[in-house]
Amino acid sequence: MNTLWPVALITFKEGIRNRALYGITLLALLFFIANFLISGMFMQEVGKVAIDIALSAVSLSGLLLVLFVGINLMAKDLDKKTIYMVLSRPISRSQYILGKFLGMALLIITTMVFLSVCAALSIQLIKMVYPNYFPRFSWPMILLALSFNTLSMILLSALAFFFASFTSTSFITLVLTVIVYIIGQSLSDVKALVDAPQTVGIHVSAATVKLVQLAYYLFPNLSVFNLKIQAAHSLFLPASYILWTVTYGLIYTALAITGAAIIFRLREFP
Amino acid sequence: MGRLLTIILCIALLTVHIISLRKITEQEKLIPKGEDTAYVMPSPILRVTALEFHGLASDFLFLKALVFLGGTYERKENPRVKPWEWKWLYHVLDASASLDPYFLDPYYFGNANLTWDGGLIKETNELLEKGSSYRTWDFMLPFYIGFNSFYFLDDNDTASKFLMEAARRPGASAIYADLATKLAYKDRRTENAITFQEYILEHTDDPKLRTEYETRLTALRGVLYLEKAVVSYKQRFGVYPRSLEDLMKKHIIDALPQEPYGGSYYIDSSGKVTTTSESKLMPYERLNLSPSSEPSSLMKD
Repeated sequence: MNTLWPVALITFKEGIRNRALYGITLLALLFFIANFLISGMFMQEVGKVAIDIALSAVSLSGLLLVLFVGINLMAKDLDKKTIYMVLSRPISRSQYILGKFLGMALLIITTMVFLSVCAALSIQLIKMVYPNYFPRFSWPMILLALSFNTLSMILLSALAFFFASFTSTSFITLVLTVIVYIIGQSLSDVKALVDAPQTVGIHVSAATVKLVQLAYYLFPNLSVFNLKIQAAHSLFLPASYILWTVTYGLIYTALAITGAAIIFRLREFP
Repeated sequence: MGRLLTIILCIALLTVHIISLRKITEQEKLIPKGEDTAYVMPSPILRVTALEFHGLASDFLFLKALVFLGGTYERKENPRVKPWEWKWLYHVLDASASLDPYFLDPYYFGNANLTWDGGLIKETNELLEKGSSYRTWDFMLPFYIGFNSFYFLDDNDTASKFLMEAARRPGASAIYADLATKLAYKDRRTENAITFQEYILEHTDDPKLRTEYETRLTALRGVLYLEKAVVSYKQRFGVYPRSLEDLMKKHIIDALPQEPYGGSYYIDSSGKVTTTSESKLMPYERLNLSPSSEPSSLMKD
């Protein structure tokens, strides 16, 4: 732990100093302001729309954070060859990866907490303007959606680390992470489609079914962390769902980081 | 010299930019938009492409429908909205509802517009049924299905079924169950229609829709008033009056009620009290489909 902490701290500080972070935060803040204008256009469920926009803004910012700040943090050491300096110190490669990841997770949590507070503020202000249009509203569900979102971003960032451990440039890591994100978000829907193709009147071959099932276990199912609609309508969510989803998220993250550490250890630097 | 040239260039470019943008805005309205532009992506594909932003995509599609219909109020042609445009509107609302099936606005907006003006009663009821199966806490959606079935489709059994469903949901008025049983009396059509319309008005906030509903309610009340007068005429003289003027001559009523749409009430060939603005009380499609209404509307005007 003593060797992990300095790496984590320096990664966190480096991330906070990144200019892109301010751009991302500014974008989210603009979304929260636009929320006033947009949600006011609706006839009935202003509250639902306000929550939709606020949570989507946080999601989008989290995603940009992982893609443009997170990947840079990992890849910069490799691109700028500063990795040699780090590796010459009494720290193992696994410790280095783990420390970097902890710093990144810390950065994600800090940013998400800040954005969540802004999102909540935006929702609260709209609620004060249109108090009659929030028939189904619950703060705990919104908080849960935001926490799940943070967890999914940590998972995605772990995968970015995994890709960075074997790719040569940060651009390839970025592309792979984006692809995994898209697959991860649509996996549930595609699986549902393949499981019951007759509902939309398409034919699916047996090979496709097997392929989708394989993909279902291989890629992260990111849509299970997406509780925006549940939060917007404060729908019932069983405790077992929360428990199993958190377990799934943590285990997948651990797997990705372990994989990253193993590959990074085997990697040869020119 | 160089600086002056740059300034002149900038001013020239900006001027042309503003002119061209204005021209485009004008010209764009003139371009005929065919039915092929009315394509809406099927909902399974929309769900996949919306990634994690299902709710936001649903809001966006709803806004698109809202803006489209709002824009048609500027049109001068008749009918204001073409039949295929109503179909497109229905598909957009349906897609919005597929992305977030708990979202009330597409159902509410669809019910208010696709029925009276669009004549897409069956489609609207399908949309509402979907909403009703998700929004189990909401009594308004089954109530709307009940009204549409009763008023437009003359299907009192379905209407009664959905009204009972509405009555069972939290916060529903006790009158719903009462109304469901009343539907058994088919000859009380106008009365039932008024009761329905009164409850719909009670749950409407939009000022534009409220005015529309209030006017319709006044028209229906006028029809009911005259229907009652016709019944008492029949009781007193043994025959039906041939025109509304007969009612005044025999002092059953003192004056004809004001027709809120600017038309006038009359008795049609089948002996039914109606108004020259019947199209406002009946959707477009029903008027064309119903064989009995055609000769009567020809007869008066």
